[in-house]
Amino acid sequence: MIDLQRISRYVDLPLLVGVVGLMVYGLTVLYSATAKEVPGDPYAYLKRQLTWAVLGIILAVFAAVINYNRLRNWGIPLYLGCITALLIVMFFGASELGAQRWIDIGPFRFQPSEFAKVIIVTTLAAQLALYKGDLSDPKRTLLAFAHVALPVLLIYKQPDLGTALCILALTLGMIFAAGIPVRHFMAIVLVSVVVVLVVFNFNLLRDYQMKRLIVFIDPDVDPLGAGYNLLQSKIAVGSGMLFGKGFLSGTQTNLRFLPMRFTDFIFAAVGEEFGFVGALVLIGLYALVLLRAIRIAALSKNLFGTLLAAGIVTMWLFQILINIGMTTGIMPITGIPLPFISNGGSALITNLIAVGILINIYARRFV
Amino acid sequence: MDKEYYKYFEEDLVDRSLDKSQKPEDMRGRLVAFAGAMVIAFSVLLGRLWFMQVMDGPNYQKLAESNRRRVIPIEAPRGYIYDRNRKIFISNRPGLAISVLPTVVQVNKEVLERLAKLTGLSVKEITDKLSEKNADPLKPRIIKRDVDKRVVAYLGEHQSDFPGVDLTVETIREYPFGNLAAHLVGYLGEASEQELKEKKSEGYDMGDVVGKAGVEKTYEWALRGTKGSQQVEVNAAGRPLRILKSITPNPGHNLVLTLDLDLQQTAEKGLADAINVARQGKYKKANAGAAVVLDPRNGEVLALASYPSYDPKLFLGGISSKNWAVLTDKSSGYPLNDRAIMATYPPGSTFKMITAIGALSDGLTTPERVFVDSGTWSVFGEQWAKKCWLSSGHGSIDFISAIAQSCDTVFYQLGYEFEMKGGERLQYWARDVFGLGNPTGIDLPSETVGRVPDRKWKKEFNKEYPEYQTWYPGDTVNISIGQGDLLVTPLQLALSYAAIANGGNLYKPHVVRAVVNNDGKVIYEVKPEARRKIPVGPEAIAVMKAGLGRVTRDGTASGAFSGFPVPVAGKTGTSEVQGKDDFAWFVGYAPADDPKYLAVVVVEQGGHGGSAAAPVVRSILAKALDIKEESMIKAEDISR
Repeated sequence: MIDLQRISRYVDLPLLVGVVGLMVYGLTVLYSATAKEVPGDPYAYLKRQLTWAVLGIILAVFAAVINYNRLRNWGIPLYLGCITALLIVMFFGASELGAQRWIDIGPFRFQPSEFAKVIIVTTLAAQLALYKGDLSDPKRTLLAFAHVALPVLLIYKQPDLGTALCILALTLGMIFAAGIPVRHFMAIVLVSVVVVLVVFNFNLLRDYQMKRLIVFIDPDVDPLGAGYNLLQSKIAVGSGMLFGKGFLSGTQTNLRFLPMRFTDFIFAAVGEEFGFVGALVLIGLYALVLLRAIRIAALSKNLFGTLLAAGIVTMWLFQILINIGMTTGIMPITGIPLPFISNGGSALITNLIAVGILINIYARRFV
Repeated sequence: MDKEYYKYFEEDLVDRSLDKSQKPEDMRGRLVAFAGAMVIAFSVLLGRLWFMQVMDGPNYQKLAESNRRRVIPIEAPRGYIYDRNRKIFISNRPGLAISVLPTVVQVNKEVLERLAKLTGLSVKEITDKLSEKNADPLKPRIIKRDVDKRVVAYLGEHQSDFPGVDLTVETIREYPFGNLAAHLVGYLGEASEQELKEKKSEGYDMGDVVGKAGVEKTYEWALRGTKGSQQVEVNAAGRPLRILKSITPNPGHNLVLTLDLDLQQTAEKGLADAINVARQGKYKKANAGAAVVLDPRNGEVLALASYPSYDPKLFLGGISSKNWAVLTDKSSGYPLNDRAIMATYPPGSTFKMITAIGALSDGLTTPERVFVDSGTWSVFGEQWAKKCWLSSGHGSIDFISAIAQSCDTVFYQLGYEFEMKGGERLQYWARDVFGLGNPTGIDLPSETVGRVPDRKWKKEFNKEYPEYQTWYPGDTVNISIGQGDLLVTPLQLALSYAAIANGGNLYKPHVVRAVVNNDGKVIYEVKPEARRKIPVGPEAIAVMKAGLGRVTRDGTASGAFSGFPVPVAGKTGTSEVQGKDDFAWFVGYAPADDPKYLAVVVVEQGGHGGSAAAPVVRSILAKALDIKEESMIKAEDISR
């Protein structure tokens, strides 16, 4: 018999239940959104995503078993590797939809910016742990930002505004967890607001980025152009009503009115087919996973573990907020996948490695 | 074994690099802020979702439904049009139309260019059609109707090159008789913005086809039928996936005309021949004309012809701007105008019938009165002398002979006597009795009313020129011979004569006899309707008939009707239009003693009535009475 109590000493079972729940939910929705995508093979996307999931689980077990504290020693090679991968993307990467974000290795296509997120969490945690909770000297905070500046810039140039913003967000979360004085933190938030305003006023965004932001403010500007995505996604979510139209019965999703229905806008398919109740279940699963991750951050016997967990929490929270927010029209449209749900191998693997790291920290909480 | 495994694991958990000096518990307070942030973020999202899905859900559901459901209207086939003998005159045939989904095609430049190449329309013409205001961008819009097989085949083979483009089956008008009676039937076209506004309540939509002229327009309500529809589920590319609901259309009702196709053919051919003959002779400018054939006993129109004509097929599938320009250009003689009801001409001597019967009825003359015609009428003084068409004069001439000979002098005198009597009695006879200057009430659109000039009109007409406002006795004298400012339509003149022929009834003319549904049941019938009984005694009518009868026997049309086996009564007219050659008129009915057919022919700039118009009337009456004649007679006439 499996001794749950004994297992739960080493593995955070509620976290695992949450993650497995999210993956099952994600694969279900993915099937609905892609069943008609490849004629003759309704399972084409599902099979691919399952392959990625298996690969991700193997890597997660690996991430859970090695002593996470060793990651501190690998900080510099990890960071350099990450930068190298991003540079390769910049010069040799594959393009899609006007962005150059991918590296093709054989039949597989990787998105290094996804992996960059979890690598930056690790290297930044290693750096911040050295300060032992003392960030009263603003130089240390600046060094932390210097740390992420290069990868953020490289990712922004791809262009992948969403991921770049995600890394900035998790940096903010981590320096907060690392003990930055609240005054300093508030100042940074204030500066960020000013920067956003300047970016708006001086047109530093690409045309399509600007358009998406404007459409976010008023989706009726151009209902068939940039506003079309948002309008169709809002129709999908709204028309799901309380209980949804049912599995495979979403007209917006299945008749392809919904653009990017299995990647960035997959939450619209959730909202349409499973309604408010289904969205509530999904957000409930996220809440479970995030609360367990925050608990792990608190349980960690060292600051490095706390910071790792805090970085992962911020990364997920940011992605969930922006993704569901944009799908429902309260956040600007930036290409950010929904963790564990959106189609895409790199993101799923990254998120599963993050789960592995969390379990790793949990298992070593008593030592 | 289990225990050992965990033991191994536990040993590995010992973190030898652990830094005991750090106390992560210190950060617990801050971690609570993470949980707080999450609660706030998720509350915002759930609040938004509650609002969208539960509060506003029904609205979004409606939008989703209208996204997925597409109602494709199915045009009802228009009713057929039959002639009086129930011969199929206008029918339908299936045609294919190219319909385009604006949202899909408008943004796809390549598809637009391919479409333009395929249809022969320009990209601009297509985008203009797609972006017409009031058009629903989610509804397919027909850009070209009645496309030929080659285009259909191409579209079928290259479907993937034309996303958002579809073919729909429509019924298209078929014209087995070509141009015949094109004016009377009229043509179809897409409803204009104005028409849509007026007919919105009747269920008309952007792109619907409506009758634009002729009976197609006046009987639109009967011919149109009720549209059906097909509710289909479509995907985002606008491709129908399955039919959700289907309502079959109800075809329109059929029209039975009063028209006789054989007579119509004869009238049109006669008119064209007469114009040809005139052009071969002295009258090179002859280029237009009209003919009306009535049953004088009830006002049924047996033929209504106008020259030049047009090809109604040009309007199938929407007329091209090039063809429209040609049809509305002066140089083509305005072929769309139905001259029989829309053109107004001075009636010339044909008006003398009204002058004569008015003079008889008002007691200005007796049938026995004898006039003297010296060729010149100079009651107003030598400098205002007016000439009879026969410059030598008719000498001593009685009233009835004056009608037969169309003696101008006699009618100048009668006009003068009307003027002396006062009360604008001549205008009374023309307007209030015979209905000139008034609509006849025919069931065709765009009828014009002509003009019966009087003092009030002259003053009004010359508002800007006070020196021309005075009414002179000479004005009345001019009207008495059908000149001056008098203008009539051929149909008005036909009805005036019909009132004499039938013994006093001025009928409301009509071209449709009945509206019949598809089971053959008559659902609407047009009955003969006398607008009024003219206040003329039977004696006066008898005198008039005698005079008109002599016109073809020993009068101005005796040449044109020589050898005609059935007695014909009628009147010639040769009217003057400033700057143009004379307009030739003839009105005739037969048999003279029991009139069944009445015909009016006018040939613009064709010369004299007896030579240019009367032969056409003769051939029409011959056809109507089933008299075989080899060819159109050639006759001489110099009268006016």
